Amino acid sequence: MRATTADREQSAIYTYLICLAAWAIPGAGHLLLGRIQKGLTFLVALSLMFLCGLWLEGRLFPLEIRQPLVVLAALADMGIGVIFFIARGAGAGVGRVVALTYEYGNAFLIVAGLLNMLVVLDAFDITQGRK
Amino acid sequence: MTSHVGLMILFALFVSIVFATLMRDDPRQQLRFGAQLFGAFVVGGIALGWILYFFPL
Repeated sequence: MRATTADREQSAIYTYLICLAAWAIPGAGHLLLGRIQKGLTFLVALSLMFLCGLWLEGRLFPLEIRQPLVVLAALADMGIGVIFFIARGAGAGVGRVVALTYEYGNAFLIVAGLLNMLVVLDAFDITQGRK
Repeated sequence: MTSHVGLMILFALFVSIVFATLMRDDPRQQLRFGAQLFGAFVVGGIALGWILYFFPL
């Protein structure tokens, strides 16, 4: 039986919702898709990596359009989802440049965001039946 | 813990866990692949450090 236009639209909305959830909370996409072990692993590992970045006094970069590299770092930071905005709202991630671990902290924060983007793509692939 | 090597090992641990979970479905294979990745990251990092030691800035 052929899929109707309404079915395809519903499927697309479902895919977008899964991707949105996967971005907002690390591992949530996999949890919603029934991949409990993977979802929990992503949730714990990526959240801890992000928190380590904050502990190491890394900076949550702002979206400063005049500085393209800062914008790229900010987009990578935002890849971790809602935790980024909670941390910003709580005043964390100011980034102390003179701290010994400042650059390490940035690396942890940026890579945690980028890895979560990969996790979102993986959740997208699962919804498309590729995995 | 906040030494360069300590943080490199912590970083390698997180990245290995996420990549192994992404790329393998079976938990035992995840563990095996994650351990291989972790070892490669740590040994590669230390080897690269020693190579750079001979090329001071």
